[in-house]
Amino acid sequence: MTVQTKPNKVIVCEGNEAAARGVALARPDVVSVYPITPQSSLVEALSQMIADGELDAELINAEGEHSVLSSLQGACLAGARTYTATSAQGLAFMFEPYIRAPGLRLPMVLGIVTRDVLSPQCVWGGHQDAMLVRECGWIQMYCETVQEILDTNIMAYKVAEHPEVMLPVNVCHDGNYLSFGIARCELPEQGLVDDFLGPKSINWHVALDPERPMAVDPLTGGSNNPGPAMFVRYRMGQTESMGRALRVISEVHTDWGKRTGRHHAPLIEEYRMEGAQVALVTIGSMTGAAKDAVDAARDSGQAVGLVKVKTYRPFPAQAMTKALANVKAVGVVDRSVSFAWNGGPVYQDTLTALALAGQRLPIQSMIGGLAGADITQEHFERAIARVFGLAKGEGSTETHWMNEKD
Amino acid sequence: MGETNYLVVGSSHAALEAVHAIRMIDAKGSVALVTRDAHLPYSPTVLPYVVSGRSKPERVALRDEAYFKTMNVDFVRGATLVGIDAKNRTARFEGQPARKFDKLLLATGAQPIIPPIKGLDKVPFHVLRSLDDALGLRKAMGQAKRAVVLGAGLIGMHAAENLVEAGLAIGIVEMQGQVLPGYFDAKASGLIEKAFAAHKVTLKLGRKAQEIKSGAVVLDDGSELPFDLLLVSTGVKPELGYLEGSGVATERGILVDARMNTNVEGIFAAGDVAQAKLFQAEGTGVAGILPAAVEQGRIAGMAMAGDRALKPYPGHVSLNTYTFFGQQAISVGAGVAGPVPAGAETIERADAAKNAYLRLALKDNRLLGAVGINVSLDPGILWQLILRKVDLAPVMDRFQADPLAVGRVLMSRLWR
Amino acid sequence: MGKAFDSIVFHGKNCDGCGDCVTACVKAKGGSDALSSRIKILPDGAGGFELALCRQCGEAKCVMNCPSGALTKNGDSGVIDWADDKCVNCLLCTVGCAYGGITYEAQIGHVIKCDQCGGQPACVAACPHDALAFSTIAGIYNSYGDKEDMFAPGLSACQGCNSELLIRHTMRRIGPNAVVAAPPGCIPGMGTVGYNGKTGAKVPIFHPLLTNTSSMLAGIRRYYERQGRDVTVVALAGDGGTVDVGFQALSGAAERGEHILYICVDNEGYMNTGMQSSGSTNYGSWTSTTPVGPSLKGKRSDGKNLPMVMMMHNCAYVATASLSHMEDYYAKLDQALETSKNGFAYVHVYAPCPSGWRFHSSKTIDICRLGVETNFIPLWEFTPKGGLRFTLPTENPRPITDYLKAIGKYRHLEPAQIEHIQHLADERLSLLSKFVRDTGARPAAE
Ligand SMILES: Cc1cc2nc3c(=O)[nH]c(=O)nc-3n(C[C@H](O)[C@H](O)[C@H](O)COP(=O)(O)OP(=O)(O)OC[C@H]3O[C@@H](n4cnc5c(N)ncnc54)[C@H](O)[C@@H]3O)c2cc1C
Repeated sequence: MTVQTKPNKVIVCEGNEAAARGVALARPDVVSVYPITPQSSLVEALSQMIADGELDAELINAEGEHSVLSSLQGACLAGARTYTATSAQGLAFMFEPYIRAPGLRLPMVLGIVTRDVLSPQCVWGGHQDAMLVRECGWIQMYCETVQEILDTNIMAYKVAEHPEVMLPVNVCHDGNYLSFGIARCELPEQGLVDDFLGPKSINWHVALDPERPMAVDPLTGGSNNPGPAMFVRYRMGQTESMGRALRVISEVHTDWGKRTGRHHAPLIEEYRMEGAQVALVTIGSMTGAAKDAVDAARDSGQAVGLVKVKTYRPFPAQAMTKALANVKAVGVVDRSVSFAWNGGPVYQDTLTALALAGQRLPIQSMIGGLAGADITQEHFERAIARVFGLAKGEGSTETHWMNEKD
Repeated sequence: MGETNYLVVGSSHAALEAVHAIRMIDAKGSVALVTRDAHLPYSPTVLPYVVSGRSKPERVALRDEAYFKTMNVDFVRGATLVGIDAKNRTARFEGQPARKFDKLLLATGAQPIIPPIKGLDKVPFHVLRSLDDALGLRKAMGQAKRAVVLGAGLIGMHAAENLVEAGLAIGIVEMQGQVLPGYFDAKASGLIEKAFAAHKVTLKLGRKAQEIKSGAVVLDDGSELPFDLLLVSTGVKPELGYLEGSGVATERGILVDARMNTNVEGIFAAGDVAQAKLFQAEGTGVAGILPAAVEQGRIAGMAMAGDRALKPYPGHVSLNTYTFFGQQAISVGAGVAGPVPAGAETIERADAAKNAYLRLALKDNRLLGAVGINVSLDPGILWQLILRKVDLAPVMDRFQADPLAVGRVLMSRLWR
Repeated sequence: MGKAFDSIVFHGKNCDGCGDCVTACVKAKGGSDALSSRIKILPDGAGGFELALCRQCGEAKCVMNCPSGALTKNGDSGVIDWADDKCVNCLLCTVGCAYGGITYEAQIGHVIKCDQCGGQPACVAACPHDALAFSTIAGIYNSYGDKEDMFAPGLSACQGCNSELLIRHTMRRIGPNAVVAAPPGCIPGMGTVGYNGKTGAKVPIFHPLLTNTSSMLAGIRRYYERQGRDVTVVALAGDGGTVDVGFQALSGAAERGEHILYICVDNEGYMNTGMQSSGSTNYGSWTSTTPVGPSLKGKRSDGKNLPMVMMMHNCAYVATASLSHMEDYYAKLDQALETSKNGFAYVHVYAPCPSGWRFHSSKTIDICRLGVETNFIPLWEFTPKGGLRFTLPTENPRPITDYLKAIGKYRHLEPAQIEHIQHLADERLSLLSKFVRDTGARPAAE
């Protein structure tokens, strides 16, 4: 095993560049790009690296996101490691090829620089885009820091290409806060990454290769034998792999931690949950401010903890219910909206997980940070107060819109 | 005992076409072509030209050994079929082990009829059916001065011309009142007779040979024709000797259906040996001509190999072409040689200066037959017009005026 | 595999009986008058002409009837050879021939027949009216007939479908070192990509989305090039996935000059899903979404002429083709294949659809031909260097009604609509002709 021996090369960069550098270290064969705010600087960085000869990859300047992902799917079927990233409307336009990648079992990595979606017309951060595609069968991991973006992009390839997984992965990082936020970032050595990822094996299972001719994606299903059973087998295979991904993601994070000394929580991170009476659930970059609020509350003697969701798909239900086993109330903060019943998607998943585990406790959906709105430490302090109220049976569990009055 | 899927006896037109048709469908089944002849396959039709020297005997082969090798056909010469055991599917040969077969084709053709003329068995005479016959005749011709030909059918007439060209004095004896009866009417035959007469051939028409004495034929009017070479060409009969006890039904020839199958399933016959359907008359008959042997052989082969493209034999149409002293005679169909059938009309045109003669027989706006001497005609097209019963009503006047051009137009159109 | 042969073709409707062919034949064969011509042109009595000429039959009756071995089918040229020194003048060959192709000519003294002048028939060269042509299409069979068919037997295309014919020819030519994209439509619909775990092809084949054929192929090709492998990537796409919803991807790939061979099989509509109108559907056509009734009379706008649009992309190669002109198609396929190694090659094949256009399944190729002969579908090719050129003559077209009347989807057309379509065809031709004038003069090579 190659571990980091020399002191890390340290750079200061924005989240988009960190993503680009992480991806470049994973040595993709084909990169397809189309710009969109707030993703643009990410694909610019990659294009520049290719131009500079730093990254040896095919660059496809596609005419839109639909073709971006399509060209990568073609490349992937031929055996290429691929990359692109997008945001919001770009993702929406990409939706048609997007939804078939998991069914084709393509081990691709697609960055989502999260952004709220139209309408109203907006170009700022929010998780609405990534959340809208949460049921498509992609693995989704949300990053909290610039460093985590770089590391997770590398780990994402290992997860996606794992023979027990073979599913595409979204590495999500928040538009604006992370995409343009500049921070210190350690760059692992190329050799370490090469050794970590191992030899490529992209299309061992489905291929478009004259040396192994096969039909990819024949018509499958219908009501006649063997259609129904075959279709079910494909779908079950996908869900089973999703289940196995939880284990693989953890193993990959552990491995990465051993090699680099940087241990990111793979599924969820429990922050100051020991003895916590109440908890906040967060996702993405908001977690930083939330942790500050938890620290401040703990300092003032309030037993509050935090659970951050890193891996949202597959949803780590077990880890979540275990983390929340001893709290009296929970506030789940989402940066997006589910229109099903006026709450956030992470809230819904948490609620379902707890209900399934038989843990009945007050739980409130809190929605903040839409379309670039700030969720400050003060917002979280108010949120913590609310959750303590819920624990005491005070206040309503109606959805709380954190920026309603900002 | 040998075993063969397809056993074909004979090595002339009918047999060769059958082998070709079999191999079109079945590349694997074993095929044997067994003949009593010692030579590579050749056509009896070419023999007059062997006699005359125009065709070199070593250049008349219709197929060579390489062909049989490529086609994976076991070609056996010098084996005469002498018996068939239909039940055990076995054919017996003289000079060869017997063979079992799945399918058998009898394409043994015809042999000359030797008429029961007093004294004929006492003198040496010639016939013309095999290459050896032709070579024998050619040799004899070189040493002879005077020849008599018995029978003015095609074989006799061809041979007579050869003998004339070789410088012999010739007499032809024909029972009927004209040469080539059956193919030509008296007027057409008259033109042919004229050409022979011009070459100093003595034509004894309507006369019978009463007796053959050494050196002369005595006719029924008492006159004598001297010869030092005698050719008997009084007709042919199917070669059937080997059929005794086989259960294969015969009349004049072997009776076959429209797929050339005999009464015994799996045993076929084609060509001069077969008695098949007639196209322009009720009943069956022995065709005795090369194009019919080709057609029947092909159909037999297709039937034997189970070719689904097989179209049943439509029936025999009388056909012949005959060239004599640089002139051409063509005869196609019915109603042109013998009596005119009821309801038919005939059109005749003659051009004495050109020695030309044309006769058409028509019925219900369909062509029945045509005869032409020194007239350009496409016999193949006329044959098709008869077989397809092409309605000539829309073009009748033009057809009668110019059967060549209008026939071509009609077939060109049908083809497209 | 047997061999196929070149042959002289007669287009009777073009013949005016001028006799130039006869004169040329007599001259070539050293005869003295028309009687010695091997080709005979005959007035049919109704103003037209018919032909008597040796067809060089495969199973030639003249050969079978020859008792002297003088006639043989030449294994190389397919010509029925006649050997003077073996012929005995018995005329039995003329009994076999049903076409007046071998005839006895008294003044010559033996039978005469066409020998195709050793592959350069004088009659064809002399014909001033395109009534005679020398078809060398057999060369396709000889070159590719024993190459493997890349599709399984028993694809379930509609009876008379020319897409199946096209894809079988195309992939037989291209061979196994290829990846085929068959976006949803008739081509996968007939089972090429397969059903429930089974495939209809012997090459790697897949369903792209209706929308992304070009982009997926681009990705595949880019990766193989990166690997140093020359894998041909081929689209066998319908017009819906090309002209309409797949157009953006197509246009992008063309603009980037992706190394793709894109074949659009244009049946003017969504025929696989029940004959709905597409952007390629021609004006006036009945389709299930441009129906005919008291208020509507078929499609109200003109079809998009995609090959011209692709030409404006300055693709490395653009061509139109029709299966009535197979040699033309093969020539274009060859060029497209070659060009696609370094650039974007686009071939637009017009594919009349018996099911969707309402004509008898036996008429498909006739309709293809009518499309070409009426100039409704001019056949041309374009390269940036060579410009635009017609690959078949466009002079003396047949009236557009010959085409329209043969097709059920135009049955309802009113005179004004027919006039509109004729006008459309004329305009299109005149525009193309301008391109031919202005670009076709470019030197073919640098
Ligand atoms: C001199 C002459 C001129 C002719 N001219 C013309 C003409 O101008 N036009 C025309 O249409 N027809 C003509 N014919 C007739 C024509 O040749 C025959 O119709 C044709 O050859 C019949 O072909 P076939 O295959 O049926 O039989 P054949 O050609 O008679 O062949 C029979 C074959 O069977 C073989 N055979 C016979 N018996 C046996 C046996 N027991 N065992 C094994 N093999 C056997 C023979 O050796 C021979 O190979 C002429 C015939 C002759 C003799």
